[in-house]
Parts: sequence; structure tokens; C-alpha cells
Amino acid sequence: MKILLLTALLLNLSFAGVIDEYLNSLKQEALKENPNFKAFDAKRGEEIFTSKHMGKKGKEISCTSCHGTDLSKSGENVFTAKTIEPLSPKANPKRFTDVAETEKWLKRNFNDVYNREGTALEKGDVITYIISKD
Amino acid sequence: MKYLIVLSMLVGSLFAQNGLTDVAPVNNQLYIKECGSCHFAYQPGLLPASSWNKIMSNLANHYNNDASISPANLQTLTKYLNDNSAEKNMQYKRSNKIVSSLASGQIPDSISTTPYIARKHSEIKKSLISQPEVKGLFNCIACHKTADKGLYGERDINIPHYGKWED
Repeated sequence: MKILLLTALLLNLSFAGVIDEYLNSLKQEALKENPNFKAFDAKRGEEIFTSKHMGKKGKEISCTSCHGTDLSKSGENVFTAKTIEPLSPKANPKRFTDVAETEKWLKRNFNDVYNREGTALEKGDVITYIISKD
Repeated sequence: MKYLIVLSMLVGSLFAQNGLTDVAPVNNQLYIKECGSCHFAYQPGLLPASSWNKIMSNLANHYNNDASISPANLQTLTKYLNDNSAEKNMQYKRSNKIVSSLASGQIPDSISTTPYIARKHSEIKKSLISQPEVKGLFNCIACHKTADKGLYGERDINIPHYGKWED
């Protein structure tokens, strides 16, 4: 039990540390692109996450096509039917604990849904939205 | 004793006569993580190395998805696929049949377009393949319930909304 608690605590700490650091680096980047940048915004992130776009496969999809709208629940890859673990770090503590992994998926999934990579502002907004959800 | 015999028969029946599965099971955790997070983790013995190399050289456009991975992982996984590709696993029944079905110089783009696999699935109604529970021939485990163990025999087939398949 003690070990479990400790693991949970460590995961929690590492999540907060890793994601804050990554958001901070995105913030620096966003400031470079726009000196008037103030802060990332969950509302803008929600729009990025839920709006539909012509994706890489030539089909209109959104992030929710695979991740669903309840981020505490598992999703399903719309093309392959493979189960996707919950995106919310509250439901799935492994999320956002590894910057390389986070960047890999942001790059891939922006390309899949938007057919281009995301800007620092968009990436920061969408992460802010995801971690704000229960 | 009787119990032991029954048990050994049961275990034996899971495997082909040479004691091997249909293809060598996946035994690489990085492969399962990187490739298996989006789709069934196909055994490397389902395609020749030439096909794997073609696939791995264009992951940024992987069947019209971005599946790019880090250069280090790309190198590790390409090596794993090469070391365990079908033509190096000819003692496994299905690897052998897949390789034997290829025309000389043929480099298939996918497992489902190898002549052997295409032929084996040719009599299945299109609607059973495209139904939401399956989505396409790429989803081995939707019907081959033991595909993750490298077992693709008829006894373990269960097609959603159809059931058992008999040739």
C-alpha cells in the first residue's frame, strides 16, 4: 500500500514537473512568434480538440474521432479500431510524463487531423485543455 | 496421469505438427509499444524484409497516417523486423506460405496484399471485413482470436456477426 501511494505520488510529481516544463518551453516559443502572447487557454484548446478538419487520410475528423469527448475514458482509433488509453492524466497517470512521447503524438496527430504540424500556441492550448479536464 | 495426457494433448493441439506456432510470436516490447499502440502488432514473420524496409522508410506517410518515430527507435525496430522477417522464418508454416506465394521481385506494401493472405481472405464477404468491429483486413485479431500468439488456425476464427469460418 505504502509503495502504491509512493508510486502514485512520484508519478504525480513527475507529471506536474514534466508537463509544466514543457508548457513553459512552448510559452517561450509562442512569445517569439507573438510578443503579445499572454497565456495558454483551455477554451481555445477545446476548439482545437473538438473541431473537424480534413485530415491526412482525406476524411473529415477531429481529435475526438479517436479520443472521444470524455477524456477520462478510453477511446478507439477510428481507422484501426485499436483501443486508446484515456488521454486525461487524472484518469491515466502515465500521460504527459515523457516530453519526447508527448511531442511525438502532437506531431503525428496534428498531421493526421490538420494535415500540418501544430504551432507552439496550438500545442500549448490543447495540452492546457486536456489537463484541465477531469 | 490421465490429466497430464489430456493436458499435453490440449497444449499440443494448439501448435502445428512441428511444435511451432503459425508465425513466430512478437517478442519485442518496444515494437509492441511503438507499433502496437495504433494497430495490431503484426508478427515480423508475416512479411519479407524488403516489405518491412519499404514500410519503415516512409513512416511519416504510413497508409496516410503520420507514424513517425525517433531515429533511434526507427533503427532498432527496422533491425528487429529485418532479423525476424518471413524469409528468415521459413520453418514457420505461414511465413513459409507467404514467402512462397510471392512473385519473384515482388515487394508487397502490406500483409493483406501478399498473394497467400489475399487468397485466404478472398471468399469473405466485403461487408464482414468493413463492418465497424473489424474495419479492414489489417485488423487480424478482430477475427483471429489468437493472432497475438502467432496462431491463425481455423479453429480460432470468430468473425463478428458471422461466427466460425470453415473453408
